[in-house]
Order: sequence, then C-alpha cells, then structure tokens
Amino acid sequence: MNLIREIWQSIVRRDPLSTDKGKSELVFFNVWLHVHPAKVKKENLRFKHTFYLGFITFFLFVILLTTGIALMCYYRPFPPQAYQDMKDLQFVVFMGPFLRAMHRWAAHGMVICVFLHMCRVFYTGSYKKPRQFNWVIGVFLLLLTLSLSFTGYLLPWDQLAYWAITVGTNIGSYAPIVGGQLRELLLGGHSVGEAALLRFYVLHVAVLPTLIILLTIVHFWRVRKDGGLSRPVWKLKPNKTETLVTIGAPLEIAPLKTGPASKDKTYGLMEVVTGKPIFETVTPEEEEDAVFSYPYAFFREAIALMVTVTGIMAISLFFHAPLEELANPAKTPNPAKAPWYFLGLQELVSHSALLGGVVAPALMVIALLAIPYFDRNPSRRPSDRKWALWLFSIFVVANLVLIVVGTFFRGPGWALIPPWVHVVAGAE
Amino acid sequence: MNRRAFLNWGTAGLVALCAGVGVSLGAVLRFLVPSVFYEPPQSLKIGNPADFPFGAPTFLADEKIFVFRDRDKGFAVASAVCTHLGCTVGYLQSDQRFHCPCHGSVFGANGAVQHGPAPRALNWFEVTLTRDGQLRVDKDKVVPSNYRLMV
Ligand code: HEM
Ligand code: FES
Repeated sequence: MNLIREIWQSIVRRDPLSTDKGKSELVFFNVWLHVHPAKVKKENLRFKHTFYLGFITFFLFVILLTTGIALMCYYRPFPPQAYQDMKDLQFVVFMGPFLRAMHRWAAHGMVICVFLHMCRVFYTGSYKKPRQFNWVIGVFLLLLTLSLSFTGYLLPWDQLAYWAITVGTNIGSYAPIVGGQLRELLLGGHSVGEAALLRFYVLHVAVLPTLIILLTIVHFWRVRKDGGLSRPVWKLKPNKTETLVTIGAPLEIAPLKTGPASKDKTYGLMEVVTGKPIFETVTPEEEEDAVFSYPYAFFREAIALMVTVTGIMAISLFFHAPLEELANPAKTPNPAKAPWYFLGLQELVSHSALLGGVVAPALMVIALLAIPYFDRNPSRRPSDRKWALWLFSIFVVANLVLIVVGTFFRGPGWALIPPWVHVVAGAE
Repeated sequence: MNRRAFLNWGTAGLVALCAGVGVSLGAVLRFLVPSVFYEPPQSLKIGNPADFPFGAPTFLADEKIFVFRDRDKGFAVASAVCTHLGCTVGYLQSDQRFHCPCHGSVFGANGAVQHGPAPRALNWFEVTLTRDGQLRVDKDKVVPSNYRLMV
C-alpha cells in the first residue's frame, strides 16, 4: 500500500485537494493545467460572458485531430483510390460512416464556432488594450480554420469536392500579378488533378494543423499574459475607463520605476519592476471574487468538452457525411457551389470576379486585423461604443445574408430561385 | 579585434546570413514548382475529319473542347472552359449559344460574352491537319474566333 502511495505521490507531488495549497499545486505542478493561474475571477467564468465559444472551438479541433488520424489509416490521397477509400469507409470499415460524419460535422462546427467566438470577443470589446495582439492572432486562426476546412473539402474526390475546389481556386487566380502562379503552386499543376489532391492532403494533415496548434498555444498563453479573460461588460464601472499598464512600455499613468542598481547585487525581475502589472487593475472587492481554478474553471470546461463531444456524436448518429459521384472533370454539376462558408464570396464573384473574389475579401481581412488599432475608444461598455457595434453588426449581417442567398437561393445557372420552388435541373 | 573590424565582420556576416536565408527560401519555393507536369498533353490528335458531323458541334469531354464543322467554312475548335471560374460550359443548339452552369455566363456562337460575370470570350484553339490526315488541336495556341481549317 505504501508503495502505491509513494508512486502516486511521485507523480502528482501535491498536497491533498482538500486543502487550498493542494488546489493551487494541482495547477502549478502540472504542465497541461498551466493554462490557468491558480485562481481566476469567478464572474469571468459565467456562461453569458464567453459562451465558452473559444473552448468549444478548441474541443472541436481536438475531435478533428483524433477522428482525422483514424481516417488517415484508410485513406490514400490519389485519384481515383481516394474516392474508393471513401466508399470503403462508407460501407466496409467498421464505424467508418460514423467517424467520417464526426470529422465532417466537427469541421463545419469549428468554422461556425470560430466565427461566433470572434463575434463574442468583438461585442464584449475584449480586443482592446492589452489584448490587441491576441485578436490579431485570432484572425490568423480564423483564416487557418477556413483553409483547413477548404483543403479537406477536396479529399473525398467526388463531384462536390472537385468542382468546389475548381471554382474556389479559380477565384484566387484573379489576384493581380501573382494570382495565376499562386494557384499553380497550390495545385501543383494547371487544373485540379493528382498533384492538387496530394498537395491539399499535405496541407490538410500536416502543415495547417501544425500551424493551428502552434498559434493556439500562443493564443492561450496570451490570454493568461493579458491578465486572464476580460471582465464581463456588466462588471465594468460606469465612467471609469480601465487603467492599463504594460511592462516595459510605461504610460503616463504609472511610470515604471527601477531601483538603483548596485554593483554587487543581481536583481530579479520582480525586484526591479515596480510598475503595475500588465493586466486590468482590480479593486479589492473584485479581488475577493477570485476562486480556485480547480475545480471552478476546469469543471466548467470539462462540461463544455462533454457537451461538444456528445453533441457531435449525436449529430453524427443521425446525419451521414455526404458523398456524391466520382469526380468528373468533364461534367459540371448545375449549379456548382463552393463550400458554404465561401458561398458569400461566390455570390460576390458571380457579379465581379476581381472585386468580389479578391478586393472584397482582402479588404475584409485587413479591416479585421486593423480593428484593435483603429478603434481608439478605450471604453468597453456597450453604451460607449454604439458606432463600433453597429458597424460590426452590419459586417456580420452582410456576410450571413450573402451566404444564405448563395446557399439557398441560387439554382441552376446561378439563377435567383427561392428554395421552395422546385426546378428540374439539367435542361441541356 | 578593434571596433572597426568587428563592425565590418559583423556586417559581412549579417549580409551573408540574409543571403543564405534568401537563397534557401527561394530554393524551397522553386522546389514547390513542379519541373514536369504529369497532365494530359496540350496538343492532341482528335481523329479523322470524317468522324465529325456537320451542324451541331461535337463535345469531347476529356479534352473539354467543342469541335465545330461547317459545310463551307470548315473546322473550328472552341474551349469548353468558362473564362469566369473554370466550369465546363454547355452548347445549346436551340439558341446557338454557350451556357455556363456555375454563375450563368452566356457566350454567343462566336464565343463572345453576352451575359453574366465572365470577363473574356471563350478561347478558340488552333486546329491543323497532321501528315496522316488527322485533326490536331493545340490548346496552347489561341486563335481568333474566325479561324477556320478547310479540309
Ligand atoms: C482556432 C481558433 C480559436 C481558438 C481555439 C480560440 C480559443 C480561445 C479560448 C479558449 C479563449 C478563452 C475564452 C473563451 O472561451 O472565449 C479565447 C479568448 C480570446 N480569443 Fe480566441 N480562439 C480562436 C480564434 C479566435 C479569433 C478568430 C479571434 C478574433 C479575431 C480570437 C480572439 C480572442 C481574444 C481577443 C480572446 C481574449 C478574450 C477575453 O479576454 O475576453 N480568437 N480564444
Ligand atoms: S464559371 Fe462560368 S459563370 Fe462562373
């Protein structure tokens, strides 16, 4: 018995969890749980502040990694075997359809949740000082998520995949000067073929996941280093904007003081820097709001994880991932549509390829990246930022409308047809 | 080492480092550009002139081309790849126009854009007769829409 206790102690090395010290040490001594400090502010954990969307996005990504690795065991990235393997997964492999469906629905879910997460961060003003750069990292995560989904779209090598990627990559070739070359580099050829499938596969299973993992680490680290989550808007004091201080970049409010350096003593960072820390200053009564990360934060996140996993599993039980006919370069389905999250783009492109396919998305990304630096209003209270909220809402609604029109209101020949009207396709 | 020598060597080292990194990046980029394309040839024989009927064009699916044969004007070959985003267009004999299924571009009988977002007319390809009397289409050679091969 003693030996077992000794082994356990050698692993966890902390006091019992019944003590406050043990609760802190659980976090301190564990590299994975280090995402949180020992204590967090209780109010920040409220569902209605974050809706746990960042976590749900992350958990969906974890589902994608695990189901994706499972699928890789049966998938060969060359035409036409790729399609054959999909058929195998669909009809031969034990639990194949279920795993495929989980992977597919988690991918769609991640695109949706990353977007909603961005909206939450915007509406709570959480991109403001000192979190500007974490927003920028977030925008790159958004772009990477879209790329991950887009590259995965080609892999089944069916009609849907083939034409969505043909149309999608041709949009890129409208970029001035480099567009054509960029497309050729991505496809490894002049049209979507063997080389393109292999390249998309490499991007999808190696390059993009690695980049997302790396950036996610930085993203989480920054959340902590920016002082934890932003305060919920309902906790903000009226008329008093938060005072923020950045170590190394002192503001007028709190000049950085350094002690006189003595020749025979080395100073640790803690002794030298006497300015206030980087995060939002809190009053004493707010300080009392703090609770131990274990169990308060971890427990809630575990619930978010379980809800996400069960949700995806439940959906996958009832809805299978689609698989159409084998890709046929000679026959374009009518209408041929890009993946749904690019249908807004395709809608714009159907009016002007250059303006809609290159200029508009480029401006959109630049605008997103610039938001935290362009918005000079220090207040996070909704009543102080009516303009910002309106502008962002217009951006969100415009995107949604375009996607809905592209998805449901475009019939054969890209004609404007409401979804409740039935048309017989293939008039030719 | 004196200050001047240090700076000189330092600058030289930095320049060398940048050059090295630059060359490596260039090499990686070049690595990603295939030196050989294992793709269908751009120039291909499509058969004997007698194989093609007069009137309605023949659609060759794998090559994505339409072969037109006119009694007194001869042969012409049009690309079936829409100039908008690369979908395969169809030819409607009833209105003698090309229709794109993707975003509704319509091209006239001579390939010119009549409707929709396509920025350019459909391509017409050079068609020649080989020594053994077959038709050869060269997709790298774009010709004016009034180009004809008399056989
Ligand atoms: C793969 C994609 C992403 C993942 C996994 C992710 C994950 C997270 C998580 C777990 C949090 C903690 C709080 C929460 O759950 O809301 C967070 C906070 C944050 N995220 Fe993301 N995120 C992603 C993309 C984005 C995007 C697209 C943006 C914005 C453009 C963004 C900006 C931020 C900011 C500024 C915070 C701090 C918010 C605060 O302090 O209240 N993130 N993210
Ligand atoms: S691809 Fe033909 S109209 Fe868009």
